[in-house]
Amino acid sequence: MAVALWSLRRIGAALLTLVVVSVLIFTSVRLMPGDYIDLVLGPLATEAQRAQAVAESGLDDPVVTQYFHWIFGVLTGDLGYSFVSNVSVSDEFAARLPVTATIALLTIVVTLLVGIPLGFVAALRSEGSAGAVGRIISALGISIPEFLLAGVVVFTVSTLGLGVSVGRFAPFSVDPGRFFGSLVLPVTVLAVGCVAVVARNTRDAVMNVLVEPHVQAAVARGETPWFIVRHHVLRNAAAPILTIVGALVAVLLGGTVIVEFVFNIPGMGSYLQTALGRRDYAIVQSAVLLAAIVFIVASLLVDLIANALDPRLRLTGGSRR
Amino acid sequence: MHTAARAGVAFTAVAVLALTGCAAGASPDTEPTQDEVAPGFLAVSDDAFDGGGDLVVQVDYDTAEASGLDPQGAATARSWMLEGLSYETLTTIDENLDVAPSLATSWETPSATEYVFTLADDAVFSNGRAMTAADVVGSLQRLLDTPTTWTGQLGPIASIEETGDLEVTVTLSEPYAPFLAALANTPAAVLPMAEIESGEVDITTEMVGTGPLVATAHRQDEEWTFAPNEHHPDAASLGFSTLTIDIVGDEATRAAALRDGSADFAVLNSIDSAELLANAKDVTVVGQRNTDFHYLMINSLTGDEALQDQDVRFAINSAIDRDAINELAFGGSTAATGVTPAGLPDACVAEDLPSAARDVAAAKAVIDEIGGLELDLVVYTDEPVLAQIAQVMQQNLAEIGVTVEIQQVDYATYSAAVYGSPADFDLALSWFAGYADPAMVTTWWNPEVAGFSAVFMKGSDELDGLIADGYSTEPGADRAAVFEKLCAVADEQSEMVPLVLRPSTIGWNTASLSPTLSSDEGYGNFLRYITQFRAS
Repeated sequence: MAVALWSLRRIGAALLTLVVVSVLIFTSVRLMPGDYIDLVLGPLATEAQRAQAVAESGLDDPVVTQYFHWIFGVLTGDLGYSFVSNVSVSDEFAARLPVTATIALLTIVVTLLVGIPLGFVAALRSEGSAGAVGRIISALGISIPEFLLAGVVVFTVSTLGLGVSVGRFAPFSVDPGRFFGSLVLPVTVLAVGCVAVVARNTRDAVMNVLVEPHVQAAVARGETPWFIVRHHVLRNAAAPILTIVGALVAVLLGGTVIVEFVFNIPGMGSYLQTALGRRDYAIVQSAVLLAAIVFIVASLLVDLIANALDPRLRLTGGSRR
Repeated sequence: MHTAARAGVAFTAVAVLALTGCAAGASPDTEPTQDEVAPGFLAVSDDAFDGGGDLVVQVDYDTAEASGLDPQGAATARSWMLEGLSYETLTTIDENLDVAPSLATSWETPSATEYVFTLADDAVFSNGRAMTAADVVGSLQRLLDTPTTWTGQLGPIASIEETGDLEVTVTLSEPYAPFLAALANTPAAVLPMAEIESGEVDITTEMVGTGPLVATAHRQDEEWTFAPNEHHPDAASLGFSTLTIDIVGDEATRAAALRDGSADFAVLNSIDSAELLANAKDVTVVGQRNTDFHYLMINSLTGDEALQDQDVRFAINSAIDRDAINELAFGGSTAATGVTPAGLPDACVAEDLPSAARDVAAAKAVIDEIGGLELDLVVYTDEPVLAQIAQVMQQNLAEIGVTVEIQQVDYATYSAAVYGSPADFDLALSWFAGYADPAMVTTWWNPEVAGFSAVFMKGSDELDGLIADGYSTEPGADRAAVFEKLCAVADEQSEMVPLVLRPSTIGWNTASLSPTLSSDEGYGNFLRYITQFRAS
């Protein structure tokens, strides 16, 4: 019962957050300097042309009306139309979201497969030179910004002629091989930082568990290191690791904007960036709302899973005391 | 996020440039070549080069017009170029920026206000219908009846008449020297008027012209694909089978595509890319001269109060070192200009402008008299060279006691600050398309005509009169004298201050493409000679 109540409260909070976020997004976008009319019509346009464009785009409605029109559309699956291309935003999302989701999922898979084992190794061998090297590599990985790494990768790959072309994306339905081939570099660039973060946090989490009394007692009982890791460390270290993975979703949302731009991948990130530059409201609002939903849902899932793994969190409101 | 990403990309470009310099040992003064292989041409396609392949071109941004693909609503050079692949105009411009025949094979001017055009008899729209004189009349009339940015450039047209099966006569209400040059740009394209009027063709979503190519697909901000217009006279001799135009926002990625062969031809913008690609195998980078030019706006209406004083504005103007801008921002590849773009016939000489004497001491005295000055200078991030120009100007103006704070913002923010009412800036940088006749761009110095400039400049009756004189005076010594005076008055008033011409940096892969590229361009159409390109 307590679990159900806690979960319901958590879900209710998430929904309320989404409503607030939607208002903030809509307001923020409208408060940005410059608008679509100025940009697309250009400074040479006449007042009559501007008035016509404003009327055609619905921007002459009261802002509150525009908000409810948008929200109603979102709830019914109609995200509106791009001012520039007049193409349905929903259709564009349907084409682009799988691309970005694939990049994000592959990045997370690579991160988990590489980052967690690295973190464990670093924790279990923290005293040796391997631990020091791991810390240095991890610090480097965290420090290098995606845009810098992406630029270096683009330059290096095109210069060395490794047989990988930059920026020749093909949809999965057209050429699956080229689709995944074009994602190798973006995923690699994104994974570098994520792996470093996860490895670092896994190491810290594991080391924190290793000094707890019940682990010390297990050592005193003469249990083998592998047994101790499996039975005493893994479960206790899982919650903080999960939390970090949830936070990485936010990092990935920002990172994909950069890698999609640099590697010319037609995903959500590059779509949002171009739309933002043109103040193409329908796209910006919906894309940012989607990003917020992804982040909130990811956080919610992480909390729910972490609580399932570690019941103590329910008693402390989510924090480890 | 947008700004951060752009800043990131800019930082990346710098980092990559630094790395390239180390890796390739490129000279820091490597510049895109402007050497001609033939008079007026940076490149001439080789007939012996294998043709028939797919031609892949990468450009930095796409069309984005409220009028969709309607060429009459095209207001940016990129739209002119892209839509110009499918549409043709009565006249065109040649490699010397002179007006040349196109859909009009010849013309006569019985008087200074009358133009009689003889039309090509082999022009066929991509839907298979032959072009008629009625299409020409209807297209020009449509441009007059539904005013767009380009309508004003056509001048004072009194009538457009079909005077023969393949003959059209245009009568002006008064002499207008740029008329033929104005007809040479995409917004004056000949449209399939019968189909438009019947509703058979929606010209805002479909391109149906007499041009050499037909757009077969377009995804906004991603890609265009074109196929040959089988009805075009050059269809059989085209040196490629399809044309793909990829929209690739990042300059370093376009450079990489040239290097790894995934693009045959690319617009590079930055002269730094020549250095980036200096040692790349099979890649040539050239600098195409343009009549476009950068200019400084000095807000005399709502900027710092001191800027209402013409002497203060002129002091700022005269402190700017165009040669330093040319050297530091363009590697010496451009030239100073007045209001009329340098290089066009009868254009004024920048070195003869009142501000060219560059008396720094006199300028400093003016600024000292008002106790110094602190100004903001707004530039937009889409055009990185603007920031470089701004930095040179910042140093120039510091010499006369003007402290300049450079503000780099995205174009939307820039647009709101500069063109909003009231305008919210002291100084701002931008560029104008220079077109192919020196009189055309002068219009923008008349706030009543330009509109957009009325929020930050007053203009003057004297200047407006000279602008009108420039339009109505026939090319030659008299017109040159008008322009000399016009440039001088605009220079003294210093509300919009021309700086230097804005060259294009263009690269191609010599292993996969043999292009034809003129040395000069007036409408930003670097694919003007696309029918001569040969791609393997």
